[in-house]
Amino acid sequence: MEKLLLLTPLIPIFPLLAFVIIIFGANKNNKLSAWLAIGGIGLSTLTSWLVIAGTIMGGHHVQAEGWRLPIPWMPTGEIVFNMGVGVDGFTAAMLFMVPLVCLLIFIYASEYMEGDPRYARFFAYVSLFAFGMLTLVIADNLLLLFMAWEVMGLCSYLLIGFWFEKTSAKRAGLKAFLTTRIGDVLLFAGMLILYSYTRTLTFHELFKPETLEMLSGTMMWGIPVSALISLLVFGGAVGKSAQFPLHVWLPDAMEGPTPVSALIHAATMVSAGVYLVARMLPLFAIVPDGALRWVAIIGAITAFFGATIGIAQNDIKRVLAYSTISQLGYMMIALGLGGFLAGVFHLLTHAFFKALLFLGSGSIIHAVEHGAHHVNDHHTDPQDMMNMGGLYGRMKRTAWAYFFGTAALIGIFPLAGFWSKDEILAEAWLQWQEAGFMSLPFWAWLAGTLGAFLTALYMGRQIGLVFFGKPRTEAAAHAQEPGNRMTIPLLVLAFFAATLGFINVPFIKGGWLHHFAGEVHAASHALHLEAIPFQVSVAVVSSIVALGGFFLGWAMYRNLKAGQQDPLEKMLGPVFTVLKNKYYVDELYTAIFIKPTVKLATLCAKFDYDWVINPIVNTVGRIGVVSAIISAKFDEIVIDGLGVLGTARFFKWTGKELRLTQSGQVSNYLLTIALSSLTLVGMYLFFIRM
Amino acid sequence: MNDILLLLPEFVLLISAFVIFILDLLWKKQPEKAGMFPVLALLGSLAAFAATIFLWMSGGIRLDIIATDSGNQVPMLAVDQFALFFKAYVALTLAFVSVIATDYIRARTPFRGEFYALTIMAGLALMLVASSVNLVMIFLAFEFLSITSYLLTGYLRDDELSIEAALKYFLYGSVASAVMLFGFSLIFGATGSVDLVGIAQGLAKADHTITTFLVFPSLVLIIVGLGFKIALVPFHQWSPEAYQGAPTPITAFLSVGPKAAGFALMARILTIAFPAFAASANVSWIVILSGIAMLTMTFGNVVALWQKDIKRLFAYSSIAQAGYMLIGVVAIAPQYVGGSPEVVGWPQGLNGLLMYLLAYLFTNIGVFAIIIAMENKTGSTAINSYAGLIKRSPYLAVAFLIFLLSLIGIPPTAGFIGKLFVFGAAITQGMFVLAFVAIINSVISVYYYLGISRQMFFTQSDDTSPIAVSGPLNAVVTITLVLVLAMALWAQPFIDWTTNSAQIIASSF
Repeated sequence: MEKLLLLTPLIPIFPLLAFVIIIFGANKNNKLSAWLAIGGIGLSTLTSWLVIAGTIMGGHHVQAEGWRLPIPWMPTGEIVFNMGVGVDGFTAAMLFMVPLVCLLIFIYASEYMEGDPRYARFFAYVSLFAFGMLTLVIADNLLLLFMAWEVMGLCSYLLIGFWFEKTSAKRAGLKAFLTTRIGDVLLFAGMLILYSYTRTLTFHELFKPETLEMLSGTMMWGIPVSALISLLVFGGAVGKSAQFPLHVWLPDAMEGPTPVSALIHAATMVSAGVYLVARMLPLFAIVPDGALRWVAIIGAITAFFGATIGIAQNDIKRVLAYSTISQLGYMMIALGLGGFLAGVFHLLTHAFFKALLFLGSGSIIHAVEHGAHHVNDHHTDPQDMMNMGGLYGRMKRTAWAYFFGTAALIGIFPLAGFWSKDEILAEAWLQWQEAGFMSLPFWAWLAGTLGAFLTALYMGRQIGLVFFGKPRTEAAAHAQEPGNRMTIPLLVLAFFAATLGFINVPFIKGGWLHHFAGEVHAASHALHLEAIPFQVSVAVVSSIVALGGFFLGWAMYRNLKAGQQDPLEKMLGPVFTVLKNKYYVDELYTAIFIKPTVKLATLCAKFDYDWVINPIVNTVGRIGVVSAIISAKFDEIVIDGLGVLGTARFFKWTGKELRLTQSGQVSNYLLTIALSSLTLVGMYLFFIRM
Repeated sequence: MNDILLLLPEFVLLISAFVIFILDLLWKKQPEKAGMFPVLALLGSLAAFAATIFLWMSGGIRLDIIATDSGNQVPMLAVDQFALFFKAYVALTLAFVSVIATDYIRARTPFRGEFYALTIMAGLALMLVASSVNLVMIFLAFEFLSITSYLLTGYLRDDELSIEAALKYFLYGSVASAVMLFGFSLIFGATGSVDLVGIAQGLAKADHTITTFLVFPSLVLIIVGLGFKIALVPFHQWSPEAYQGAPTPITAFLSVGPKAAGFALMARILTIAFPAFAASANVSWIVILSGIAMLTMTFGNVVALWQKDIKRLFAYSSIAQAGYMLIGVVAIAPQYVGGSPEVVGWPQGLNGLLMYLLAYLFTNIGVFAIIIAMENKTGSTAINSYAGLIKRSPYLAVAFLIFLLSLIGIPPTAGFIGKLFVFGAAITQGMFVLAFVAIINSVISVYYYLGISRQMFFTQSDDTSPIAVSGPLNAVVTITLVLVLAMALWAQPFIDWTTNSAQIIASSF
């Protein structure tokens, strides 16, 4: 079935073509542009399915060892850079998720973005975004992966700042770009070190046991190279996947159009960081007592910390944004504990239900906006949950899809999130049993379980605030369900959010996905690759926690009246204020990094303009003016006259003169042959005599 | 393999030419069928191309076609990968030329069949030149090529410029051939052999007097003959007039075909017959040719600064380009470590020459396709008739700009890769003066190449009617444009192809 796999390089080409055609041709025609983008990603989806079919039929050989198509690029010195693509079980699993979710988002966006003055451009950008992500997952080497990574960085900037007339959107785009850029630089540094030691960036060559051994055996600045590289690579993932402390850009990314949020949070951007860590896991694992631990620690902090902020946000999309940060933390916990597949599984299921929730929230915002227009109200913030309420009756389709997404997110049996989150917690639980109380896995489990409670709480709060009770504004009272192009993608996503978990139910042959994608890193001994048995105790605890949290949130908020104080605020007091202000991390960064940078810049400017440089410059300037007058004369006469213009004139003059050798007289030409030949022969005879 | 199969590309061309000749006679009364001739020529060229690629794929060893001369076996033609590279090159050139000639010839002469048949014959001659390994065969093939070229240059027999150009070309060419033949006779006298390998063996035994008075002069005279075909300064004087006077498709042909054949022959003769004189103490063809290379590129570029007619400008441009290509011959790596993966793809002189020729083929054919399109529309070949082209046909203007960038050697175009490889070879060989002069020359060339684009983009023209380009011309422009970009962006296959093709010649050096 290798033939089907040969289609792999085509997958990212379609969206790229859509991008090119829209940018260079179709941009005047909105409808055509949208159809091109949808068609491009649709073809990618179909091609991906063929490739997945090829992977399934290829059996264990393809799934575990991978199929590769090296494409030699430029020779650079002794090494030829390969820009190859490859497919293994892991990539195939990603190929199921990425184009399908993108496709649904695109269809949704074709209605959502209607009326936008830059409609066509939007579809060009999202196509490029999809191209980036698809290239990233099929890359079989870090170099191509990094290029795709950077393409996504650019697209995130363009799309988050898509409504650049708004100052906040412009700043958010910049913030996303600069924050992830910190990670990118770390990743790039890691790649450079990796390359300088191994002379290759291709995954399967890097993960050869002897290469890994060499990397962990070699020291650089007193630490093993593998540790250094892993931490740098992880730095890249921390930026892209919005892990603490580089998470600050993701909530602000809500300034982009909602389909973009869905794209960033589910199918593309943030998945890339997790994907990178999962891909590079053997390198992390080879570091004794090092890199993986940090992945787990950062993951645990992020999972808990993100969830706490989530309960105190009023913007419907911000709640989801912190939820994403927290869920990405879970994935990092899994990877950090060596549970490769648990992390990947959660990455896949999360993409579906988070895309669903975001598109659902977009649908709600759209509806409230519509309502606000209807009653001629231009002040109500359509994203503020305090302005909603009672929407269930007005938009049943969206509401039910949203319920499914929520249930999947908080992990209600038997929806997707239940199985995937449970596997992560079970992994932590089992390792805790081995490592003992107060060990890292224990803390990870605790953070995960508390996080699960908080997740349920903020989702309960959100459902209560948005769908139940009485409408708190006129806008909400006149909200209207959007059309089919928006609601059908929601239903499709809801289907997957509900059922996708079954691909890895531990009762069925120890988890199907485990066999399909779990053996990619089989060569690495440091990872826990065997399937984890179902842990009843973990499942019971997390189910109780989830249901409890949800009903708590729902009960507290379902009948909130307009203008009433937030019940949680009443309960938690100043803690709530801290959470509402996101632990003041933004303020902290402003104080620590931005303000001093601006101060330093001002100081430098002062130094330049007022104190030192400018006075010197002015003095020098005065001397300069005088000498300039002298040198100008010199220039005019010597440099221009003889030098620059002289050279030009010289060539023009020689050309003019030499042109005359072309006299048109054949006899002259023949004489030239004879003379030239004789001169050459003569010169040689002369030299030989000497 | 059957020996006769080795000449498959030549036979394909021969048959196509005869078919066209015969049909031309049969269809005398049915001029409406003349539209079939370019199609036949195109099919013949493509078939020859396919046959060549087939041989290239199955080849890889040197195969000699032997003529028997009263019991002595004398190698005449070599069907090695080096020759096959040039045959593929020629077949491609023929295919392009037959397409771009279609409209041009239809508009200018009723005698269309012969034109294509003669062009194919010229291509056949080029293939033979590339294969020849014997002075007799070389001379015959060379003359065959020259005579078909004269005919084609003067093909527009009602056009005074065309006739005059053909006559001058003929006179000049005859003298150059005579000079070369004289050189051949001296070398035969010195070694008693007409076979290139035999000559090298004979030279190894020659004493000082023979080398001084026979070999050195003959080397110079052979270089004169080759220099004429390639249009190296000071043997270039025929070319501006021939290029300007010839039918434009033939100008395109002359600027790429005979030049390539001349280089093929030069590389083969110098490396196989005269390896001992590459850099010997007394005489070194590397030194002679380095001098000629610098002279050629500088002269070509400097004189091109003044040209007002685009065909003449490209005549000088092609002189200058030949100067750069010559670097590929003189910077040939003496210790060739072919085949091992570490060095494949490194500039080794000869592979650079082949890269450069390919880049030049794609670029120049594209340029001439545009010149023909413009000539068909405006009837003029003056550079100022390109004013405001961006408004009249944005596609042609942008394509032309990319071709010009390729001629200058700016990435990401084929010309950049070509220059990278020949200049790189010069630098690897420590020929810094040569590389420096070449780079200075590239800078000078920017002036006149971009002078054209200044006309196209920044000068207003009175006539703003859009320029309609016929389908075949448009196809050639697009195909060459894609190839020019592809060669830079996906260089590896081209590097592999040229390196493998150059290997058989280079490794004997």
